[in-house]
Amino acid sequence: MIFKTMKAALVTSALMVSAAQAQQVVEWWDFLGGGDGVRMKTLIEEFNTEHAGEIQINATTLEWGTPFYTKVQTSAAVGEGPDIMTYHLSRLPLGVSTGALSPITADDLAGVGLSGDQFATANWEAAQVDGTLYAIPFDIHAIVLYYNKDLLGAAGLLDDAGIPIGLDSVEGFTTAMETLQTNGAEYGVSFQSAGNGTNWRIFYSLLGQQGGSFIDENGDFLTDDNFDKAVNAVQTMADWVSNGYTASDVEYPASIALFTGGNAAMHINGVWEVPTFTDLHAAGDLFEWGAIELPMFFSEKATWADSHAFAIPNNAGNELTAEERAAVMQVIAWMNERSTFWATAGHLPAFNAARENEEFRTMQPNATYSVLAETAFFDPSSVLAGVASPVYDAIGNYVYPAIGGEMTAEEAVTEMRDDLDNQNY
Amino acid sequence: MMRYRRSDITTALILLIPFLLVYGVLFVYPTFQMVGLTFTNAPLIGEGEWIGFRNYERLWGDRLFSRAVWNTGYFVLLTVIPSTLLGLLIALGVNRLNGWWQSVALAAFFLPYILPVSVVFRIWAWMLDSQFGIMQYPIAAIWGENVPIFRTLPLFMPAVAFITVWWLIGFNVLLFIAGLRNISSEIYEAAALDGATRWQQFARITWPLIWPITVLVATIQLILQLKIFDQIYLFGQGGRTDSTLGMVELIYRSAFQRNQGGYGATVALVLFVIIVVVSVLQYQLLRAKGQR
Repeated sequence: MIFKTMKAALVTSALMVSAAQAQQVVEWWDFLGGGDGVRMKTLIEEFNTEHAGEIQINATTLEWGTPFYTKVQTSAAVGEGPDIMTYHLSRLPLGVSTGALSPITADDLAGVGLSGDQFATANWEAAQVDGTLYAIPFDIHAIVLYYNKDLLGAAGLLDDAGIPIGLDSVEGFTTAMETLQTNGAEYGVSFQSAGNGTNWRIFYSLLGQQGGSFIDENGDFLTDDNFDKAVNAVQTMADWVSNGYTASDVEYPASIALFTGGNAAMHINGVWEVPTFTDLHAAGDLFEWGAIELPMFFSEKATWADSHAFAIPNNAGNELTAEERAAVMQVIAWMNERSTFWATAGHLPAFNAARENEEFRTMQPNATYSVLAETAFFDPSSVLAGVASPVYDAIGNYVYPAIGGEMTAEEAVTEMRDDLDNQNY
Repeated sequence: MMRYRRSDITTALILLIPFLLVYGVLFVYPTFQMVGLTFTNAPLIGEGEWIGFRNYERLWGDRLFSRAVWNTGYFVLLTVIPSTLLGLLIALGVNRLNGWWQSVALAAFFLPYILPVSVVFRIWAWMLDSQFGIMQYPIAAIWGENVPIFRTLPLFMPAVAFITVWWLIGFNVLLFIAGLRNISSEIYEAAALDGATRWQQFARITWPLIWPITVLVATIQLILQLKIFDQIYLFGQGGRTDSTLGMVELIYRSAFQRNQGGYGATVALVLFVIIVVVSVLQYQLLRAKGQR
């Protein structure tokens, strides 16, 4: 009797083991907390349901920023990293230079039918270092101009479709802010003017709109006329503060509160706040609002952008087998095909097809600003750039005080350039 | 002179060896490794090449390093003595209360101590927020307009120091109360009978008898505040970090942000030596003064 039971148990466990062996478990690390994270969890659950018994994603969400990247680097070095992770493309050069990332080969791509022409060119290029692909883009996130439809309408700044007019050019934008303040708004615009996040993104957009670049081919910073363009960009932002159109030293949450509280008629921030405003509006706590691409202040269109992408860590001594790699690539392809849903977090899907379908075209306000993908101006490709990098620190140390009027724009850009050049070796 | 019996020595060794082993492996060995690291150009993970004293030469001329030392010293000045004296003051006050009131007062002063630093940061960042902070009402009443405290360089360190003292004072108060309770009330009664004033009672009885606790508290605070990182990092993030960084933040930046493990180890070693020297010096000096 006991022998029979034991035999049955052995057979069952053997079957279970072989069934488990047929299922691939993909270890996934991301840094997506908050509104994004909720939507990502939905996507992961959907994937797991669809692929039950074949591939399962085992996801962990870690802390955004430097902690995530140092953890990835240290775990990859000892072979304990995940199978797939989210990664900012702006951090790619540093990640590649420390050997933390595994190149994605043409075979990998062909195996799931992915190719470079399915993504925007600038985006695909930003995912490469020296011609080798290290990540596959998932979304493009940029800054946009949020606006209070009620206040702008009352000031006569909206067209029939409810889109702001007359904001393109520095003078146009200034006049608009002037009008808004005459009509009762405390500030024409609000943004996180304390610190380095939004200050960098606006500065970099203004630099790009003048056709400037932050780093040249030799890796030197702000050379030749890029220097003057940078000074011009800083001066524009400093003028907004000194003329009272926006407040200096405003922290990130306070800048959002100024907009939602009706004190500021416009707000410059990342697309990731779209869910915040959508949810507030749905609860009846917010005015009619919209979001458009950043105005063209200078001669060309350009908006700072970064990109969340999927990367495969280089786990020393513990590399992926061919089946595991195929499973990871399947996850990436599936996610990209479903990235229209990801757009409800405010981001723009990197996958061209996900931006061109009917569902995305009718998604507001995404559809209004999705045109920025064509002129997305990605972070400079350098080990010193990217989220939480020396470039960001330099903005906090020099550009931020200049915007607040504690330094001249010329001094700020000179010191920033010298500081960053000194860190270049 | 006491002579130790064999069995005593054996017992002592048996009890000590587990700790010594763990201590040796987890602390002494890595410290030696770190000293070795300072002579290489190792990245955060992995080996580096021997470069002799180049890290130390770089340290000597590094503008950021001298700034970090200066900031750490300034912060220590703003926190160690004030928090020690304030802790004593509060303990004296709390000691005068009785029963339920004393428990309430003690709990109130100790409550901030149980908060993690991120909560402390959130509370004070919002209270002092330049646009919506509740503390801006009194500030604007006095100054005429809102003041972005943490973004105004001269105000940054004093503000962070104030918040640090608020946060950690409970621990000092606890130690002082324990010390004060050890002073027999009979001494005070005898002094009062002899006509001693309140001040004389404090200066001649309380202060000398509480001296060992004062030294202990000051030394603990000194060692703690020399390692300042969390509050400065949190309140200063995104801003003029080159002007406000402390030594531990410099270590973090060099090793983790710039991937320069060798240089980070050099700064860490210098900080370690400073802490050892300063705290031993302080302890010896103060104890010697007390024993006179």
